[in-house]
Amino acid sequence: MVLFAILAMLIFQFAFGSRLGDLTPFAGGILWATLALTAVLGVGRSWVPEREQRVLDGILTAPVPRLVLLVSKAGAIYAYLLAVEIVAVPLLTLFFVRGQAPVDVALVAVVCLLANVGIAILGSLLACLALFARARELLLPVLFLPSMLPVVIAAAGATHAVLGGTNDLAEYRGYCLFLAVYAVIFGLVAYATYDHVFDD
Amino acid sequence: MSTGAQYVVAAYGVVLFALLVYVVAVGMRTARLAREAELLARLVERAAGEDEEAPVRTPEPADASSASRT
Amino acid sequence: MSSTTDARPARRLAVTGALTAALTALAVYGVFFVAPEDADQGIIQKIFYFHVAIAIASLVAFGVACIAGIAYLRTRQVRFDEVSSASVAIGLGMSVLVVITGSIWAKASWGTWWVWTDPRLVTFLIVLLLYAAYFVLRSSAEGERRYRYAAIYSVAAFASVPLSFYSVRVARSFVHPVVFTQSGANMPNSMLIWFVVSQVAVLGIFLTVLQLELLQRRADSALRRVKARLEAAA
Repeated sequence: MVLFAILAMLIFQFAFGSRLGDLTPFAGGILWATLALTAVLGVGRSWVPEREQRVLDGILTAPVPRLVLLVSKAGAIYAYLLAVEIVAVPLLTLFFVRGQAPVDVALVAVVCLLANVGIAILGSLLACLALFARARELLLPVLFLPSMLPVVIAAAGATHAVLGGTNDLAEYRGYCLFLAVYAVIFGLVAYATYDHVFDD
Repeated sequence: MSTGAQYVVAAYGVVLFALLVYVVAVGMRTARLAREAELLARLVERAAGEDEEAPVRTPEPADASSASRT
Repeated sequence: MSSTTDARPARRLAVTGALTAALTALAVYGVFFVAPEDADQGIIQKIFYFHVAIAIASLVAFGVACIAGIAYLRTRQVRFDEVSSASVAIGLGMSVLVVITGSIWAKASWGTWWVWTDPRLVTFLIVLLLYAAYFVLRSSAEGERRYRYAAIYSVAAFASVPLSFYSVRVARSFVHPVVFTQSGANMPNSMLIWFVVSQVAVLGIFLTVLQLELLQRRADSALRRVKARLEAAA
């Protein structure tokens, strides 16, 4: 998965970089485009063990509230994204950003922590909807990405505000606030609907 | 007509076109429903015809009960 | 549910349809013959009367779908799924119209068929994709699962709509601090009243089409039930 993220960043470099030279203004966008695609992969894979080993039936018959299942899946996706980001963010600053301070990277880390919550909740819920479908690999991106677009917009915006050369902290705070609101709203949606996903 | 007015007409024209396309879609669905209803009517009549030879069970109770349910 | 052996749904449809037709005619007359022309944009501004009305009506449609989805999850009655899926279909069709009329407006105002600077246009593009996925999801599942998953997604997607709108607008506001008012924040009453009439007319179109869709689905399912019985008895 980390390998995939690196490859995705390379694709962006070769798609744009050869013509533009300095990709610093696009660094935020490149990071979150890469992470969005990596997230789709990771979310799709998050249920594979249960499905392949038929463990799912066992988990569902256990006297555990469905919410615990949701939270644990979301936690797993969150950890997975974090693992990718730990590698991807430094690499991003290495490849694409000119003249950055270490503080900036810390700010980007905050963006990652916030955005991951929304992605993890969304992924945990939507992956279940795609679980039993035959064209699972096609269905999940189609379900997942449109709902992810606000996260991409806000996270890329926040990252750009910090890394893109303008260092606009008001913008950064605005986007981070949005990411928090997103996480809260989807948390509520998931909490309200999760019981119904596994009703068979 | 000024070019501005042409765009306004185009926009309203698109909406009108969409409504007409929907009318056609409804028409095709209605045609299919009519075909199926006709087919079912023929099935019932044929079954009623066979019923005169073997009065064991008829589709009429099924027909009546589903009609009363709707 | 004895709603097709009595004439009430048909009568409701006739009433809604007649009122909507009258309102639509009134709206068109008012927009083109009574409402004053906009000082800045000229006649192009008249696109907005229906462009905005359809946009809001599609959001209402998606809201209805969300509420019907919740109702399905609570009661497991299939008629709520019928309302939900019909509403999404109508909302999706209206969203396509919003994007097309918005694109025509963009061409008229800016000379290009697409702009990324109009939050409403961009948001409805996202909304289009969001609800197109609804039908992909429906076709991927069968039976009761289809209704359940569709209901869950109708709620999640509706939550995404305001989030998408605000994310696009927030992004725009940082790049272009100037507030973008295509339709004018302070509208004179002479225009506002025709906006309201157009809006009610388009909402009426939504209701009429929704009732029409529901009637057709019920006819279809009733015929299918008869067919199943006949084939079982034969």
